[in-house]
Formats: sequence, C-alpha cells, structure tokens
Amino acid sequence: MVCYCQDLTEEDLIRAIEEGYDHIETLKRFTGAFMGPCQGKMCAVNVLKLFAHKTGQCIEDLRVPTMRPPVEPIPLGWLATEIARGKDEEEL
Amino acid sequence: MKKNYDVVIIGGGVQGLSLAYNLARGGVHSVAVLDKSYIGSGASGRNGEMIRSAFGSREWIRLFDRSLQIWETLSRDLDFNVMFTRCGYLVLASTAEEFSLCQPNIKQQNEFGLSCRLVDAAVVTNLIPALNPRLVTGGIFQKDGGIARHDAVVWAYARAARRLKVDILPATEAVDIMVESGKVAGVKTTRGDIETRTLVNAAGAHAKQVAKMAGVELPLEIFRLEMIVTEPLKPFLPVALSAPHIMGYMHQTARGEFAGGAEPENLSPYTGLKSTREATQDMARKFVLLFPGLHSAKLMRQWAGVVSKTPDRGPLLGVVEEVEGFILNAGWGGYGFMGSPAGGKLMAELIISGEVPTEIRPFSLTRFTTGDLITEPTIIGLAEDSA
Repeated sequence: MVCYCQDLTEEDLIRAIEEGYDHIETLKRFTGAFMGPCQGKMCAVNVLKLFAHKTGQCIEDLRVPTMRPPVEPIPLGWLATEIARGKDEEEL
Repeated sequence: MKKNYDVVIIGGGVQGLSLAYNLARGGVHSVAVLDKSYIGSGASGRNGEMIRSAFGSREWIRLFDRSLQIWETLSRDLDFNVMFTRCGYLVLASTAEEFSLCQPNIKQQNEFGLSCRLVDAAVVTNLIPALNPRLVTGGIFQKDGGIARHDAVVWAYARAARRLKVDILPATEAVDIMVESGKVAGVKTTRGDIETRTLVNAAGAHAKQVAKMAGVELPLEIFRLEMIVTEPLKPFLPVALSAPHIMGYMHQTARGEFAGGAEPENLSPYTGLKSTREATQDMARKFVLLFPGLHSAKLMRQWAGVVSKTPDRGPLLGVVEEVEGFILNAGWGGYGFMGSPAGGKLMAELIISGEVPTEIRPFSLTRFTTGDLITEPTIIGLAEDSA
C-alpha cells in the first residue's frame, strides 16, 4: 500500500504509469495520490520514489506537485467565523 | 514532431484537444497540439466540472445545448469513461428579485425545448434540504444538466485524437508565430519550427499573449478563480448547483467531496496560481452561509486557475480577418469545459468546410468592432462587472 487515503497499491501506480499517465501531475490526477485527506503527507515520498524509479528519472529532478493549503484539514466554520470576527473588530 | 502540419493548435486543454479529435474525425489527420506544460495543465484541470445549457440568451443556449447533446454520448464516442453524470443543474434564486429574473430566462429556454423548469422554494428545499432556507426563493432546474470529471475529458479527447494519428506535444511552447504577407506561415516552438497554414489559438488564459505573437490584439482579460474541496461527506448535494447570490458554483464529487468556487467581488491584479487566504475565507463564509451544515466540514485543499474573458463574457470563435489562417477558439471564461464538445466540433467544421456553423457565428471577433455584443443574463459575476 502506497497511498492510504485512496487505497493505492504499488501495482496501481505502475499500471497507471504504463497506461500513459507518466507525468507526475497526470499520475496524481489519475490515481488521486497527493489529493486525499493526508494531502500527500503520508504518500508523497513513496509515490515520488516509485515514479522516479519506474520512469528512469532522478528523484531530485522531479517536479513535486504543489502543496495546497491548508496543511491540515480545518473546518470551514473556523475560516468563516474568522472573517465575521474581523468584521466585528472593524466596526468597533 | 514533424516539420509541417495541416493544422497546428496552440493549447493542449480540453478545447484544443476536442478540436484536434474532431478535425481527425473529419479527415484532417495532419494535426499537432502544442502545450507548454502537460496536457490539461491549465483551466481544463482546474474548473468546477459543471455542465448546463440553461442560459438566458439565444446565442448561448444554441451553442451550449449543442454541447450538452454531445456530452450525452461522449464516453461512448471517445471510448473512455468521462464520468458524465446527468444529475441535473439548478440555478438557485435567493431573493424575490432573483426569482423574478428567472421568468424571461425560462421562457427563452422553453422556446428551445430545453429540459428546464421554473421551481419554487418548496421544490428546491425538498431537492436539497441542506440549503439555508433564507437563501431559497426558487430557481431554474435543468434535468439534463450535470457534471463530468474534467481530467478524464482531457485524457479521453487526447487518447481518441492520438488513435487518429494526431501528434500531441506536451512541453512544447509556442514562442512566436510566423506571418508572411498577411498569412500564417508557421510557428516557432521551444522544440523547433513548424510550418503550417492553419494555426488555432486555443491557449486559454494565454490566448491574448499568443495572439500578440501574430500581431493581433484581442479584447481579452485574464480572470483568476479559486476553488476549494472538502473531505468526503455523506451525500447532501444531489445536483450541480450555481448560486448567483454568492457568485458561487458547486457540486459533490463521486467520492463525496464538496467542491466549489465563488468569484471574488473584486478582480485582483494577481494572476498567479497560488491560492490566497482572502479567497479561502471568502469562499468558506459564502458556503457556510449557503449550507450551514458545512460549518464542521473540513477544508481539504484549495487551488486556483486562470481563464480569459471577453467584455461580453462570450467566447471568441472563428477566423481573424487580418491574418489569414489564424483561428480563434478562446475567451471561454469559466465555460470552456462545458462548451468543449461543441467548441471542438463546430470549430473543426469551420476549418474543414470554410463555412461558419450557425451556433458559433455570433461569437466572432468582429462583434467587438461592429458592436453586436451578446447579452447573456445568467453569467455568474457579470452583474458585478457592470455595477
């Protein structure tokens, strides 16, 4: 198991690369790796290593998918109320 | 990559790839699609995935309904599951005024025989009980509208085009366009020169910049949008939903994630692809207002995309009179994904036959000199532009 969020095995990733999803960004989109609740924190190194090996590239040269905010999933309510609080303070 | 092609398309997004596929289907096999990055790297892989033809103007309805008809059979046509789900598309009305503005639109939609009906607040609340009742006065529901998986559509068109011998060239950036005595002669790329007499600008957000290479000034402006996606949730949103009141559009994915975007009140001069805190908070506030239950839903990721828009928000489709052989398939704004099946098909018809299909005739570049602008009343955010 390489990616726990999307249940991806090594074999799933190899098959995807062989199918033609051989750019790290297309592999990400096709398999969902990096895009689950862990946002790549559990899987990134393993996926990149496997990808580099399979496509004959050096891991240091790989383009790494952009880390998107937030670092940890946070409730929308927190973000929404922060705005509301900010507004109240302005009014005061 | 060959030294010359009958048609070269700049932009390996969903529009460029759809066009390449349709050209090859129509017998033009010497076609190359260039993209400066990987295919689908621009707005094609960043959009809200929503599909409708329930617009308010004859021009938009005609074009997008043609598209909707193709969506129906697209997976079969391309032999690839694009996950088109005809779950229905609701344009929500949140105030009495918004509801009254639905009236002329539904009339127009009925004239075209679309599967649309005007629904009242009770019907909407019954369909989506999670909506904040204070923001529901009714809406227009299009039964045949829906969603599709954006990346899958890109790959489906690319694969089908490749099978028909189209050359798809990622990591190949167009850097200059060669024009000789008013005619397209070729394109210079980061991987060498290509000769062609027909060059299509399908460069999405970069279409203005590409046109400049041919000495053509287009009335386009880069427009930046952001979207968010939450962790998977239980099913609560059974349809594709747009809510003009918050300038938002949203759906729930097959995995259960809530994915949505809301246009900002003000256009930021920033056109990069980094997500911004302002937009996150703006969207969080709007979506929690619309769906109070999302208060505890966890935001998983957020991203941005850029598109280009014209002054009337309609796409630019057709020839450029001043440069023979230079063709536009650009300026789709946020509607390029849903419009791609028809966009590619109709533009291919134009290139093959030389005749302009009825559906795209109103969207020519010349409308900005003749003043025949198209007034489409249901565009998210347009009211704010003119206000």
